[in-house]
Amino acid sequence: MCHLSEVARLRGLRNTIKGRDFRMDTSEIQSKVVEIIGRYAKNKDALGSVTDETNILEDLKVNSARLVDVILDFEDEFDIEVEDEDADAVNTIGDAVRLIQSKVA
Amino acid sequence: MQSAVGRVLSIFWIPATTFAMRFIMRYRIPNALNLRRRFRKMVKESDDPILICANHLTMVDSAVMAWALGGSWWYLFNYRRVPWNLPEHSNYGFKWYNRVGVWILKCIPVRRGGRREDIAGVLQRVQYLLRRGDTAIIFAEGGRSRTGRLQLDSIAHGMGRIVNSVRKCRALVVYMRGDRQLTYSAVPARGDSFYVDFELFRPVSENSGMRRSRDFSKQIAEKLVAMEEKYFAGRE
Repeated sequence: MCHLSEVARLRGLRNTIKGRDFRMDTSEIQSKVVEIIGRYAKNKDALGSVTDETNILEDLKVNSARLVDVILDFEDEFDIEVEDEDADAVNTIGDAVRLIQSKVA
Repeated sequence: MQSAVGRVLSIFWIPATTFAMRFIMRYRIPNALNLRRRFRKMVKESDDPILICANHLTMVDSAVMAWALGGSWWYLFNYRRVPWNLPEHSNYGFKWYNRVGVWILKCIPVRRGGRREDIAGVLQRVQYLLRRGDTAIIFAEGGRSRTGRLQLDSIAHGMGRIVNSVRKCRALVVYMRGDRQLTYSAVPARGDSFYVDFELFRPVSENSGMRRSRDFSKQIAEKLVAMEEKYFAGRE
């Protein structure tokens, strides 16, 4: 128990040092996700009306070869590590948000 | 099952494919003997898995490349070294006999830009085949180079991912181009002569996860671009 609280304290310290709020909420994650994907989206118009169901490749027209760069940007932004297998499940904005939430939790 | 059926029928389809390329289409590979000597020596020296990573300009590149590297007689006795290929489903999937044909010819269909889970399933099959000692070919840009030249920003992540995930896997980087091939096309021109060059290497990275796979893809792509530059420099 003592050990777990120490881990949480160090993790909180790490995120504070990096200038981020450890308890990032879903809407905040989603807005950062949209901001990152926006750099690679060819359909910029669709960015204004994204929902959880918005497909990253089909609706936002992100080149499939660039999806790796998107995920690596998530890694940098949220200080997480994503395996190739985790990334296979990312089709929509909602998938990306859920993946990030599972990693930062 | 697919491998076993293909192996049994290989006594027909390997010579037939070679015959078509050599005598009907009159393709020529001037340095074929040297290429085959190098490739066979390389295979003999180590059992470590090999993923062939190549440029892509026509729909028969994988057949011509395989012919350049192994030769039909050698493949009949080394069937595992006939590379598995990942053709785009929409290029042939409209007729049942096409689907049967490519199934026999060691092909695993892929729908580029399709559901990510489906593409991941194809990559997992390739990983399995490499682990058991087969060889596979994957094109660096996924599809054919639309400009006729390699585009670094179109490099597919799959090749780095496979090399990263298969223990001791090496990348055999192959650059091939018909002398009359200006951009992409369905098949090379009849009577074309092919320049083929290859280099075997093991990518390295200090990263882990996807970043490591990305580094591998990048290194493979850079090798291919350097080989392409060498090709065009040699033509000037």
